[in-house]
Amino acid sequence: MDLGLRLTVAASLALAPLLPLGARLAYLQVIRHDKLSTRASGEFARTAQEAAPRADLLDRQGRVLARSNPSWSCFVDKAMVKDANAFGARLAPLLQLPASEIARKTRAAHRFAWLKTKMGQAEYQKLIEARVEGLGIMPAQERVYPNGDLARGVLGLVGAEGKGLAGLELSQDKRLTGRGRRMEVIRDGHGRTIYKNVSDSGDTPDPVRLTLDRTAQYLAEEALREGGEKGQFKEGIIAIQDPRNGEILAMAAWPPNPLRNPLVQDAFEPGSTFKVVAALAAVDDRIVRPDELFSGENGKFQLTNGVTITDHEPEGNMNLSQIMEKSSNIGIAKVVERVGAARFYRLARAFGFGAKTGAPLPGESAGELKPLSDLTKVGLAVSSYGYGLAVSPLQMLGAYSAIANGGILWEPKLILDGKPPVKVRRVASERAVHEISAMLEAVVERGTASSARIPGYRAAGKTGTARKIDPLTRKYSTTAYTASFAGYLPASSPRWTILVVLHEPKGAYYGGLVAAPVFARVGSRLLALEGVPPDRPTDPALGTARR
Amino acid sequence: MMDALMGFDPRRVAKFAGLGALFLFLCWQHVQATRIGYRVESTRREARALRSRVADLRLKVDETMAPAALAARANTKLGMIPATPSSLRSLAVNTAESGGLLPRLWARLPLVGPQRS
Repeated sequence: MDLGLRLTVAASLALAPLLPLGARLAYLQVIRHDKLSTRASGEFARTAQEAAPRADLLDRQGRVLARSNPSWSCFVDKAMVKDANAFGARLAPLLQLPASEIARKTRAAHRFAWLKTKMGQAEYQKLIEARVEGLGIMPAQERVYPNGDLARGVLGLVGAEGKGLAGLELSQDKRLTGRGRRMEVIRDGHGRTIYKNVSDSGDTPDPVRLTLDRTAQYLAEEALREGGEKGQFKEGIIAIQDPRNGEILAMAAWPPNPLRNPLVQDAFEPGSTFKVVAALAAVDDRIVRPDELFSGENGKFQLTNGVTITDHEPEGNMNLSQIMEKSSNIGIAKVVERVGAARFYRLARAFGFGAKTGAPLPGESAGELKPLSDLTKVGLAVSSYGYGLAVSPLQMLGAYSAIANGGILWEPKLILDGKPPVKVRRVASERAVHEISAMLEAVVERGTASSARIPGYRAAGKTGTARKIDPLTRKYSTTAYTASFAGYLPASSPRWTILVVLHEPKGAYYGGLVAAPVFARVGSRLLALEGVPPDRPTDPALGTARR
Repeated sequence: MMDALMGFDPRRVAKFAGLGALFLFLCWQHVQATRIGYRVESTRREARALRSRVADLRLKVDETMAPAALAARANTKLGMIPATPSSLRSLAVNTAESGGLLPRLWARLPLVGPQRS
């Protein structure tokens, strides 16, 4: 036989067994390539995503109010755990949890269950070194509030999934949420990660700067906490606004609750703090002359058959300023009768009552203002002294800010985003506002709000006391009140508008007795803090205070 | 004859050597990429640990500087009380304007050290 042929046959025989192997290889490499490649990469290639950091929330001076810190969470993969008790016993010292609890969670899990969240670096390191089968670790971001409960009603809350649940964390969720970095990694035979490349470099949003002032917020909360802890009232709120631009400097509530912000979400019957609306309407349209006198009817005035208005003190003749100083319901009811329902209603609406203010917080209440058609003689009279309607604290704050700044209503601003403040409208003429401002100053000087006085400074404001509606009887309670004070200072050039509302105060319940001192306390701290020079240096009380 | 039997062709050898070197380079590159991959991953973990530490320290600073914490320390450790506006005394910043003749002359003296731009 030819040598070449023999060699060919020998080679063919030797290679024949390789043919099925080659065919198999071709089948796997060519026909099933895509499927097998995907499966293989699924075995060892991974996409690792880092936990998205949430943007910081800062106060107006850049001090941190909320921050995201890296943390870790660990979970159990039940399918990989042979003995739940042994698993629990091994992890208990590392997680500092009872072994029985870990075992119980493991048994109860369908396949996956969280064992511990918000773990720090030290705990994470221990778990990594322990290499416990069935235990998974995931990086996360923990939301921390370094100032404790400070401004928590405004800041809100973030859930375990990193989503905002309340407050600014909810309303600004999109803006605060970042995108975590995504990386392609592969795992070796020991399960160790080998970095391949970054598929998405992620995005950390810029911090959100608020108009809140951490110190002013603290002062407001401190003032409330002291009274609240002593049981002097059931609930209380303090709001501070810069009347020059509508920036909210503080929103404090007692008791603190991150899920609820009563300054925005609640509405209350304001009582006498609402009298400025009728008074301003009368002055703006020159319906009442400054020297015009109204009879106080000795504290009792029958408006219609069966409807009698009373004052807490019997009064004689009063001009408009005295009506405000003495907070006379009878006097203001007579004034508003002259003003008329349409003018009164128009001005109340112009102040923003009965409409949302546009504050960037969830669940804002619009309050409740009776429609013009419901403002009958009685309805108009009771509305003039703040009954039969509901206002949100933010609306009331904005209204007094408008009086403080000469008549401009600003949209409440809570986020410093570089945009100019939004001027809503002019509510009344500058002349009329200045006249009312002088009356409000007189309220503090010699009226019901004398305890709001701060030696050396001019302050202006109005007290309010309203009966609360008993939820059981649906009638006005004789024991539960809302005491309030709304005012601004220094009156010569107002820098702060402060609203104090105390629900169900114990003992004394008049706004002038319980809410006005809180205003004076917060106001004097703010003045000292900012080093504002006295605008009434000749105040005799100043010498007493200095001594 | 021998050359033909051994297939010694310098160009072929160079080709094989080149291919071999390329193969070795690719192998080396792969090994290096894997090694660097391990290092990047471990550095990334280290960076994360450090970031976590920095965040913890920042948090501690923020907690220490929180108004409530400061007020408590000022009150209990230093015996401080909140100032009232009337207890404050404002000092004039510019002595040249507020002072007498001597401070005004002093303020006009040229600076001794080099001026900072």
